[in-house]
Amino acid sequence: MIKGEQRQAIEDLVYRSCLALDARDYKTFLSLCDAEFRYTVTTHSPEIRRDMVWLDHDRKGMETLFANLPKHNSDHSPITRHATVYTVDAAGDAAEVVSAIQVFRTQLDGGATELFAVGRLHDTVKLADGAARLARRIVRLETRQLGYGYHVPF
Amino acid sequence: MSKNAAQWSAPPKFPASHYVDSRIYTDQQIFDEEKEKLFRPAWIIACHESELQAPYDYRLFTHPAGVPLIIVRGDDRKVRAFYNICPHRGNTILYDPAGNAKRMTCIFHQWAFDTRGSCVEITRGEQGYQDRFCKEDASMREVRCEVAFGGFVWVNVTDDAPALREFIGGAMDILEPYMEQPMEVFHFHKALVRTNFKLWHDTNSEFYHDFLHYFNRITGMMQPGYYERRYTPFANGHASVGSMQIQYDKYDGSKERAVGWPGMARGGWYMVDLFPGMTYNLRTSVMRIDTSVPISPNEVLIEFRGLGLKADSAEERAQRVFDHNMIWGPFGRNLHEDLLGVTGQGRALRQGTDSRYLLHGREENNTIHDEVGMRHYYAEWSRRMGRAAYDPYREGKAEPVRAAA
Repeated sequence: MIKGEQRQAIEDLVYRSCLALDARDYKTFLSLCDAEFRYTVTTHSPEIRRDMVWLDHDRKGMETLFANLPKHNSDHSPITRHATVYTVDAAGDAAEVVSAIQVFRTQLDGGATELFAVGRLHDTVKLADGAARLARRIVRLETRQLGYGYHVPF
Repeated sequence: MSKNAAQWSAPPKFPASHYVDSRIYTDQQIFDEEKEKLFRPAWIIACHESELQAPYDYRLFTHPAGVPLIIVRGDDRKVRAFYNICPHRGNTILYDPAGNAKRMTCIFHQWAFDTRGSCVEITRGEQGYQDRFCKEDASMREVRCEVAFGGFVWVNVTDDAPALREFIGGAMDILEPYMEQPMEVFHFHKALVRTNFKLWHDTNSEFYHDFLHYFNRITGMMQPGYYERRYTPFANGHASVGSMQIQYDKYDGSKERAVGWPGMARGGWYMVDLFPGMTYNLRTSVMRIDTSVPISPNEVLIEFRGLGLKADSAEERAQRVFDHNMIWGPFGRNLHEDLLGVTGQGRALRQGTDSRYLLHGREENNTIHDEVGMRHYYAEWSRRMGRAAYDPYREGKAEPVRAAA
C-alpha cells in the first residue's frame, strides 16, 4: 500500500512534468526524469489492426530532440496538458502510475482553444529518499488524427 | 518596390505553362469537376495487401470521388472491392475500418453478402418479395481492383477506364526493382489539413522547399549529389525523382541508417508522384505512401502509411519505425513542417484573399530545384479538366509560350 506522502509526491511529479512541458521548459522536465528515463508515444490503429510507436527516445534522445527543435519550423501555438492521476500501484521502490491526459491547443491569433488529443500516461516512477523520479513514460494516445501534427512531445 | 492592385493582378512574366491561377485551389465548381474528371477515372491506392492477410479480412476506404468501398480478401484469397452501400435501403454495410467478415451483414435488415459480392440472405425474402425479387437481384456493386506495384491494392470505380498498367505507364520503373520483396504496413495515420489537395501533391512534387526542412538541408542539400537529382515526367501526369546518397549522420541524433533496403545503395531515396494525388517515397529504410482524399476545396484528408519488409526481424522493424518517426511520424521533424507549409498556403489562398497566381517557373535542367514536376502535373490537369490551369475560366489570358515539359 502506498503511503499518503508518496502518493502526493507522485502526483506532484506527474503534474510538474506537464507544467514543465507546457512551458517548454525542457531543463526542468529532464530534471524530473531518472538517468534511465525512456519516453514513448504509442497508439493502436483499428485501420491496420496494429499497435504503433510514434515516438521513442531514451533520455539522451530526448535531450537531443529538445536541442534540435529550435532549428526547425514548428507550430508556435501553445499546448496545455491536463492530467488526472487515476491509479498508483507501488512495486518495491517504484510505482506504476496511470493518468488520464487531455491536450488542448490554443491558437496564437485570437486565442481559440481546441481539444488536440486525449490519452493515458503510463508512468513508472522511482521512489528514493522521499523523492520521485520519472523512469518511464508511455503516452498511449486515443487520438490519432493530429492535423498538421506537433513537434513537442505530449 | 511593391506592387499596386493592377500589377498584383497582372499575369506573371513567364510562359503560361509556368504559373497557375490560384482560383483552381478555391473554386467549388472546379473542385466538383476534379472529383469527376480526375479522381473517378483514376486508379487509386486503397490499402496494402498486408492489411488483408487472411481470407475474409476486409478494409474500408472512402474513394476520393466520394464512393465508400469495402476491400475484402475472399475465401479464394483474391482481393475484391465493392461499394459499402446496401442495395436494399442504401445503408452502410460495414462500419469498422477493418476486420474479418465471412459474411458482410447489413445491420439494418440483416441482408448478408459473401466476399464475392453475392447476396446470400434476404430476411423474409419470399414473404415480402414473392417471386418478384430474389438474392440474385441484390448483388453488391463490384469495382475494379488489382494488387500491384509493391502489393498495394488499387481500385478504379470507372468500369471502362484504361488498365492499371496503362495508367501508370513507366512511372514506377525506378521503384519496381526495390519492391520485389513483400512489404508490410507498420504505420498508418490520417491528417485532415485545411488546404487544397493539389497543394499537398505540389509539395511532394518539388524539392525547392527543402529550405523549409533543417533535416533535409543538413543531410541532403549540403551534401554531394543533391543538385544532380533529376525529375522524370511520365504520361498521365506522373513523375519520378532520382536518388542521391543522403548523409543521415549529419543530423544530431540521427546516424547512418543501419537498416537499408534490398538492392538500394546506401542512403538512397527515390520518389514517384502519381496523378492525381498519391506518392511513393522510399527513403533508405522506409517506404512511405501518401494517398490524398479531397474533402472540399480547402480541405484534404491525407492517409499516410509507413512500410518495412515482411521478413524484418524485430530489431530491423524497430529501426525502421525509429527512422520513420524521426521525420515522418505525426511528431516527426519533416512531416509537421510540410503540413504547416501547405496549411499556410490554404490560409493565404482561401477565397477572398486576393491571391492571384502561383509560380512554377524554376528551370534547372529538370534537376532537384526545377519546378518541372508541378508544370507536368498541371499540364495533365488542364488536359483532363478541359481548362487551362493558368486561365481556368477562359478569360483570354495568353496561350502558353511553349508546352509544359
